[in-house]
Amino acid sequence: MSEQKSNETRQIALQTARSTNQRIDNVVSSSLARFHVSHGVGRMILLTLLAFVIFTIAAPQVFLNPLNLQNIAITSPEIGLLALAVMVALLTGGIDLSVVAIANLTTITISTLYSTIAATDEGLADSLGPVIVLVGFVVGLFGGFINGLLVSKVGITPILATLGTMQIFNGIAIVWTGGETLYGAPAMLNTVGTGAIAGIPLLFVVFIAVAVIIAVIINKTALGSTILLQGANPVAAKFSGIRTTRTLMSTYLISGALAALAGILIISRNPTASADYGSSYVLLVIVIAILGGTNPTGGFGTVLGVVLATLTLQIVSSGFNIVRLSSYEYAIAQGVILIGVMVIDQVTRNRQRSAVLKQRKLKVQLQAKDSNQ
Amino acid sequence: MKTTTRWSPAALRGANNEGILGLIVLFLIIGMTAVNPDFFSFGTFFSIIRASVVPMIFALGVLIVIVSGGIDVSFPAIAIFSAYTTVVLMQTSGMDFGVLGVLGVALVLGALLGLINGGLIARFKLPTLIVTLGTQGIFKGVLLAYVGSRYIAELPASMANFSTMDLVSIGDGSTVASLHVLIVPVVILCLLVHIMLRRTMFGRGIYAIGGDTEAARRAGFSVVRIQLALYALVGALAAFGGVLHVTLTRSANPQDLLGTELDIIAAVVLGGASIFGGRGSVLGTVLGVLLIQLINNSLILMGIPSAWQRTAVGLLLVIGVGIQALGARRASKKVIVPRETVVPS
Repeated sequence: MSEQKSNETRQIALQTARSTNQRIDNVVSSSLARFHVSHGVGRMILLTLLAFVIFTIAAPQVFLNPLNLQNIAITSPEIGLLALAVMVALLTGGIDLSVVAIANLTTITISTLYSTIAATDEGLADSLGPVIVLVGFVVGLFGGFINGLLVSKVGITPILATLGTMQIFNGIAIVWTGGETLYGAPAMLNTVGTGAIAGIPLLFVVFIAVAVIIAVIINKTALGSTILLQGANPVAAKFSGIRTTRTLMSTYLISGALAALAGILIISRNPTASADYGSSYVLLVIVIAILGGTNPTGGFGTVLGVVLATLTLQIVSSGFNIVRLSSYEYAIAQGVILIGVMVIDQVTRNRQRSAVLKQRKLKVQLQAKDSNQ
Repeated sequence: MKTTTRWSPAALRGANNEGILGLIVLFLIIGMTAVNPDFFSFGTFFSIIRASVVPMIFALGVLIVIVSGGIDVSFPAIAIFSAYTTVVLMQTSGMDFGVLGVLGVALVLGALLGLINGGLIARFKLPTLIVTLGTQGIFKGVLLAYVGSRYIAELPASMANFSTMDLVSIGDGSTVASLHVLIVPVVILCLLVHIMLRRTMFGRGIYAIGGDTEAARRAGFSVVRIQLALYALVGALAAFGGVLHVTLTRSANPQDLLGTELDIIAAVVLGGASIFGGRGSVLGTVLGVLLIQLINNSLILMGIPSAWQRTAVGLLLVIGVGIQALGARRASKKVIVPRETVVPS
C-alpha cells in the first residue's frame, strides 16, 4: 500500500518536473520565434536589396546614374526622420499623426522670420540664420510638448490627441500662410541642402547621424528602456516604478524634435514653406515605420529597420519614375508591400506556433506512453 | 448598478454623453441666433443638413467599425472608387442604369472592396488601421491608374435629374430654401443602422467583439463571419455615400473625398464612440456630425475666415475627448471596492 503510494508520488513528481521543463522549453522557443519574426532587419535588408536589384536590371543606365542615387539620398532624409518620429511614438504603443503638421510649422516659422528680417536687412537675416533655425526647432518641440501634455497629463488616447493637434497645427499653418507658399530661408540652410561630403549629400549625413543618436537613446539609455517597457506592458511598467507621465512626455518631445528636424531638412532642400506640404506623407511615414519592423502595438522596433524601409520605399518610388509608372501605381505598391509583409509575418508566426503545438502534442503522447509502461 | 428612472439626469445624459452633446448643439444654435438673427432660418437649417448628408453616411460606417474595435481609413477611397467606376461603366457602355441601377452597381462594388478589408482583417488577424491604410493606397491607386483620373462633369441623365430634386421648397420672399430629397434615405439609413446595432444578434455581436474579441468568441459569436459581414456592410455604406457625393456635386472627380477620413473619425469620436470599441451610438454620431457642420457654418456666419475651420474642429476634438479622459481618470481614482463581491448561495 505505502509502496504503491510512494511510487505514485514519485511519478507525479517526475511528471511535474517534466511538464515544467517542457513549459520552459516552450516559452524559450516561442519567445525566440517572436524575436526572430518581429526583428525585421534581416528581412528589410533583403527587401532593400531586392528593390535595388530589380530597378538596376530594369533600367541600369538611369537608375545607377550617380545623379539618381544622389537624388534618392536627398529625398529620403526628411521622410526618414518623420518615420523615426512616428516609430518613437509607436514604441510606447501610441502613434503620432501630427508629425507632418509639426514639420510644416517649423518650415513656416523659419521662412517667415527670415523674410521679415531680410525685408529690412538681408545680411543681418543671414547672419541670424542659426537663431532663426533654433526658433523653428523650438516651435516644433513645443508642438511635441502639447502632444505629450495631452497624452500623458490629460490622458487622451494618442491617436485622438495627435489627430486633434494635427488639425490644430495644420489649421494654424493655413491661417498663417493664407494658404500660399512662402519663399526664403537663411543661406546657411542652402549650403546644408546642396552640400556634399565625398559625393554623399550633407542631408543624408545629417539623417544618418540623427538616426544613430535615436538608436543610442532607445537601446543604450534608461529612457529608451522605459519607452520600450511602456509599450511592451504599460501595467508592468507602472508597477516597476516607471513614471509613465514622464516617459510619455519624453517620447512625444523626441517625436516633436524629430519632426522639427525633418522640417529643417525640408526647407534646406527647397527654400519654400507651405501649410499643405507633404499631405500624403502622414500615411507614408506610418507605412515606413511598420514596414521597418516596428510593432504597431508597441514595445518593439529598430532604427535600422526604419532607415532601411525608408530607403526601400524611396528606391521603389524613384524606380517607378524611371520605368514610367505613375505615382498612382506607387500608391498601389506601397499598399501591397505593407499588407504583403504583414501577411507573410502572420503566416510564418502561425506556422511556428502550430509547429510548437505539434511538438507539445508529440511530447504529451510520448509521456502518455511512458506512464503506461 | 442601479437602474435609473426614465427622466433622471443620468438617463438624459445618455450612455455616451449624447445628452450633453445635444445640449451643446442647442446652446450653439441659441447663441448663434442671438449673435446673428439671420442664422435661425430654413435656409441655414437646410444647408447644414445638405452639407451633412455625405459625412453622415460615412460616419455611420465609421461608427460600426469603431464599435467593433477597429479603425477604417479606407472608406473614402472605397466611396469614390465605387461611385466613379459606376459612372465610367455607364459612360463606356452608353447605358443609363437609372438611379436604382447606379446604386446597385456601386453598392456591390463597395461591398466587394469592403470584403477585401474584412478578409485580410478576419483571416490574418492584422491590425485594422494598418490593413485599411494599405488597402486605401491600393484602391486609390487602382482607381486613378486603371479606371481613370479624368474629371467627369457630364453625369448620366438619371443621376443629373436626381441631383436637382428637392423634397420641400420653402420660399420666404426672394430666397427659396430647399431641402434635398437625399435627406430621406439618410434618415432611413440612420434608423436601420440603429435598429441593426441595438436589436439584432449581428449588432450585439459587433458590440461584443469590440468589447472583448476573445470573450465574444467564447460566448459563441463567429468573430470571422461578423468581421467579414461588417466590413462588407461598411464598404457598401461608403459606396452609398460616394454615390450621394457625386450626385450632390453633379460631377465625378476621382480625386474627391480622399483625405476626409480623419475628419469623419473625429466626428464619430466626438459623438461618444470609444476608439477602443464596444461603445457608441447612432444618436451620438448624428449629433457629432451635426455639431461639426454647425460649427463650420457658424464660423462663416461670424465672419471668421474658413481657414480656421480645421483648427476649430481640432480644438473641439481635443477638448471633447480631453474632458472625457479627465472624467474617466477622476472616476478611476474614486472607485470604491465593494466589500462583498461574491454572494454565497
